[in-house]
Amino acid sequence: MSRLLRKTGSILARLLSRKGSALALLFLSAVTFAAIFANFLPLDPFGQKLVNALKGPSATNWFGTDELGRDILARVVYGARTSLLTAAGAVAIAALAGVPIGLVAGFFGGWRDAALMRLVDVLLALPAILFAMAMIAVLGRSQAAALIAVGITGIPSFARITRAQVLTLRKRDFVTAVEAFGGSATYNMFRTILPNSWSPIFVQVVVLCSVAILLEAALSFLGVGVPPPTPSWGEMLRTGKSYLHEAPYYAVLPGLVLTLTILSFDVLGRALSDILQGRRDVDVVAKAGEASS
Amino acid sequence: MVDPVLSVRGLKVDFGGEGRSVPVVRGVDFDVYPNELLCIVGESGSGKSVTSLAVTGLLSETARMSGSVRLCGVDVIGAAPETLRQMRGRDVGFIFQDPTTTLNPVLTVGRQITEGEVAHGRLKKADAHARAAELLREVDVADPEGRAGQYPHQFSGGMRQRAVIAMAMAGQPKLIIADEPTTALDVTVQAQVLAVLARRQAELGSAVILITHDLGVVAEVADRVAVMYGGRIVETAPVAEIFANPRHPYTRALLRSQPRIDTSDARLDPIPGQPPTPGALTKGCSFQPRCAVGRDRPLCMTEEPGLRPVGDGRLSACHYPDELGPDTVPAAPRAVAEAASATAEPLLIVDGLKVHFPVKTGVLRRTTGWVKAVDGVSLSVNPGETVSLVGESGCGKTTTGRAIMGLIKATGGSIRFAGRSVRDLDGAAMRKARREMQYVFQDPYASLNPVLSVEDIVAEPLKIHGIYDEMGGARRIAELFDMVGLSRSMLGRFPSEFSGGQKQRIGIARALALQPKLLILDEPVAALDVSIQAQVINLLQDLQAELGLAYLFIAHNLSVVRHVSDRVAVMYLGRIVEESSRDGLYGLPVHPYTQSLLSAAPVPDPEVRDTRRRIVLEGEIPNPASPPTGCTFHPRCFRATARCASESPSFGRYQETATRTSCHHAGPLAEAHRNVFAAGSLEAAS
Amino acid sequence: MIGFVVRRLLQLVPVLLLASTGIWAMIYAVPGGPIAAIAGDNASPEQIAAATAQFGLDRPVLVQYADWLWNALRGDFGISIRGRAPVLELIGQRLPATLQLAVAATIVSLVIGIPVAIASALRPGSWIDRLLSGWSALALGVPTFWLGILLILLFAVELRWLPSASGYVPFWENPLGALRNLALPALTLGVYVSGILARFLRASLVNELQADYVRTARSKGLPERQIVGVHVLRNALLPFVTIVGLMMANFIGGAVVTEAVFTYPGIGRLLIQAITTRDYPLIQGCIVVILVLYIAINLAVDVLYAYIDPRIDYR
Repeated sequence: MSRLLRKTGSILARLLSRKGSALALLFLSAVTFAAIFANFLPLDPFGQKLVNALKGPSATNWFGTDELGRDILARVVYGARTSLLTAAGAVAIAALAGVPIGLVAGFFGGWRDAALMRLVDVLLALPAILFAMAMIAVLGRSQAAALIAVGITGIPSFARITRAQVLTLRKRDFVTAVEAFGGSATYNMFRTILPNSWSPIFVQVVVLCSVAILLEAALSFLGVGVPPPTPSWGEMLRTGKSYLHEAPYYAVLPGLVLTLTILSFDVLGRALSDILQGRRDVDVVAKAGEASS
Repeated sequence: MVDPVLSVRGLKVDFGGEGRSVPVVRGVDFDVYPNELLCIVGESGSGKSVTSLAVTGLLSETARMSGSVRLCGVDVIGAAPETLRQMRGRDVGFIFQDPTTTLNPVLTVGRQITEGEVAHGRLKKADAHARAAELLREVDVADPEGRAGQYPHQFSGGMRQRAVIAMAMAGQPKLIIADEPTTALDVTVQAQVLAVLARRQAELGSAVILITHDLGVVAEVADRVAVMYGGRIVETAPVAEIFANPRHPYTRALLRSQPRIDTSDARLDPIPGQPPTPGALTKGCSFQPRCAVGRDRPLCMTEEPGLRPVGDGRLSACHYPDELGPDTVPAAPRAVAEAASATAEPLLIVDGLKVHFPVKTGVLRRTTGWVKAVDGVSLSVNPGETVSLVGESGCGKTTTGRAIMGLIKATGGSIRFAGRSVRDLDGAAMRKARREMQYVFQDPYASLNPVLSVEDIVAEPLKIHGIYDEMGGARRIAELFDMVGLSRSMLGRFPSEFSGGQKQRIGIARALALQPKLLILDEPVAALDVSIQAQVINLLQDLQAELGLAYLFIAHNLSVVRHVSDRVAVMYLGRIVEESSRDGLYGLPVHPYTQSLLSAAPVPDPEVRDTRRRIVLEGEIPNPASPPTGCTFHPRCFRATARCASESPSFGRYQETATRTSCHHAGPLAEAHRNVFAAGSLEAAS
Repeated sequence: MIGFVVRRLLQLVPVLLLASTGIWAMIYAVPGGPIAAIAGDNASPEQIAAATAQFGLDRPVLVQYADWLWNALRGDFGISIRGRAPVLELIGQRLPATLQLAVAATIVSLVIGIPVAIASALRPGSWIDRLLSGWSALALGVPTFWLGILLILLFAVELRWLPSASGYVPFWENPLGALRNLALPALTLGVYVSGILARFLRASLVNELQADYVRTARSKGLPERQIVGVHVLRNALLPFVTIVGLMMANFIGGAVVTEAVFTYPGIGRLLIQAITTRDYPLIQGCIVVILVLYIAINLAVDVLYAYIDPRIDYR
């Protein structure tokens, strides 16, 4: 346990020692803090004041107001809540389903591998955004639907990364060694291989956060994500786009926060990959599969 | 006096950024003359490869060089990049270690051989293919016209390395630098490649720098030798003298720590401690902490000795070069464990073991053939005895070991251990049966779980079997550490903090945790430096004597095998071709493959190299998926007849001896050439 | 070669079968059943009965599935509920627009991505590498819909150079008009994908530049230009082909967002309309067509890869 703490500490220290990842960490901490403690901030995302509609940034409304006169900054802060919550839930679903799939497929090989990976191929047979949309078409539009849809599209990346890791580890002598002195397959899988696979899985968690936030925002932008009046960044961009002439800040400012959040996760993911695995470039192929263009 | 092709003075190379620079080469002087072959010998981290890259400016940009390097009259340090580029390929050619990665996989071999000449404007693109074929023919590649149009993956390892030699020689350079050119090759292929290299050198009159860690290779090919240690040359001398009368304690210690194929010495003299890492050198002489002569002497501890003449054409960097006596011949032969083998019931009996892997092809992935990785292997190991399984890569020796251990499923034959059949056991029964049989892996870097502390690693087998407390818990682990010569203070550390030799000791301690009777040792010293190798070999022998262990020793290094074994079995393409007592096999081999293998192995004795009879096998090991008909060795065999191509020989006793072999024409070499290690006449065998 | 293609095709059969079953079953998973979706939420019992009969939903499930699959195989996905036109016809009208955008976006992404990757891979860690890697991160991190909005703000609202809504103008009929309409969506998509391509190509270039064969090439005295241009690029471009193919496949169906930003009449927008109007036959048709195209492009890339890489034995 103390070793884990020490390791976490040293990773944190190394993240903070780099300009890029320190900034990213700072920004994400601020966003997370605001999202968690939004209730305690003097912000009201729902209060409508039609006389105040579409007013530019001012001392009272830093980001201006929307078409119903609501404070955009407040909606951005509450939108962070939607966004982070969806991302966290989706990544949890993806990891909890994907990691065991990859573990079993890679460790046992044979028909189990073939069957599981074909299943994963089905998930990859459509671009992630389409898959999510199709899921929502079935489940109906709700926050839970968005979360599940985004989560399921993330399963293949975890399954593939875990499987690849297991395949490399399986051939390593220290895994064979456990077999040689009598460790069972289950022991090997959970006590030897899994503890050696945390690095790539953890990096993927961070990377997938950025993908999930992007995907959720895209769904909301298309009008199939989290339903209004719950504030969401994608939805704000969608409405803001209708007022580009009158209120350009409406679409620009929430988009900026969204972009910075995605960028921060991306920077963090790459820094972690460098620190934990000695590689600067995360698996862009996996990422490309998630891309919502 | 001829001018040297290359003259190096005070060469220093530092790596790393500002503030934290690591000196890797620390003042190296040497010359190489036309027609001369200079060997640079050293262990990993001695700076030998970096030196060779530095003299042609091929180092990465993080390296800083100083000193003077004159190559064909041009000062390399400070030369413009374009000047250096013009010199490469024209004045100096390179041969690198691993032929699987030195060639570009997506360009044809022919193009890669000639593109240097084309780039230098000395060859027209239209003539390139013909020229490539010509060069390939000169290095004995069959069907050079066709081969020139193929890609590297279509070449075998030895052929690739010959293509690399052809490439290095294409521009007829005055200097050729070969960095461990045969380390990745099997011994019979190594013999071919060294022969080609030597012949092409003679034809071109080039100077050659050959970098190696293998003293056998040095003795075979070198004219002059430079020994490197800790980033400096510690001794240079003509090859005969360096072997006969080393004038630096390191050279001497290195020679004495290596097992030799031509003797069965009782005990190796390892060099104590670890080789230095470039970042952390001691003050004074860098060899001093490990030196038998200068350890703890005030002068050695304070002042680094310079390279000084110590006789005719010899230089040594030692304060006390005269305190070394002449190298003694290794001690009396090690006794074979015959007493044990005569009386006891064999511990392990393997009979007709087969491991066949299916080959699946076609749309439906049907099994269309079998790779017979192990095809009818029979052997036995008695308590307290060491039986070695020796052969070249792909012969099935490791598969045999893993099948015995149950790590790979056997497809035929029987395996009996301590009187019980252990084949096809599974689950709990297998785990139980395996308790008294343990495995030590080749690569100590890969065989220890990086996320566990070494204490947990050694304790893991006990915990898996649920007998950790019963066996004494932490006290038992500490005892095991004592047994393999590791300090108890290291218990809580992680594998990454240990050196290769120490990791191998941890692997051995882990294997001993369950108190086994038999250890299967899979190339346990192949990944280690020479001086560390000796430490581990001695440890294994001590443990055997102390605990009465039986060893199944799997190896490709014939010298190490001779040193450790009581009995030896030689494998070729999944079968044992000859099996005998150690002295029987090395003294009077009867199978032509054994004879070729022994004669191809380099002997670290330059005295015998010009006169020793050598059988250089043609070709390489065939693909086990489509082995030759009849006797699988017949296409490469110097005794093969029509019968060998059609009829597979059976494995049985050779005449009245203890030797068993499978050959239609088994028999010793003609009387005059019997001892393949000593000088003798050179006429062809049989 | 033919065997290789056949084998890859056979491997696709279970994927396609599973996916199509999923797509067909979608309609049954809808809350309230398919009839509510087809006949509308406030339908009378008569209307429901009529719809049930019209779409053959009163037959056994397996018969319905076999029937649907058979029709789908012939390209018949039925009649769009809202558009009252054959589904395939509606899709056929949108496909050229989508393909034109995909080609344009691919060109943009390659034109940006390849030079960026090469320039940064040649000097890893230098300021130019850091600058260009930053650019890739930015290209990847900026959501296409926000970038699209920014581009519209700049080029349509402020400068008024280009239309803010892009229509489909066939390139061969009116190249200039097509370019005017394509410029912003293609740039939006292309910039995003250039980030992926540049990052991928840079990684494999840096990797290849450290390979042993590069040292061998240097030791032969080859000029650096030739080492990078022939030896390194040829190795790095092999896996790159796969990525470019994957991206192209993604453009076919995945350009939904960009099409929405620019109200571009592609297949993605058709799908969104279908989803928001709950036009299930149209949803099914769109997804099947996108799926088939996506898989076909991936297969083509696989085959191409096996063909250009001498190491792959495609027997």
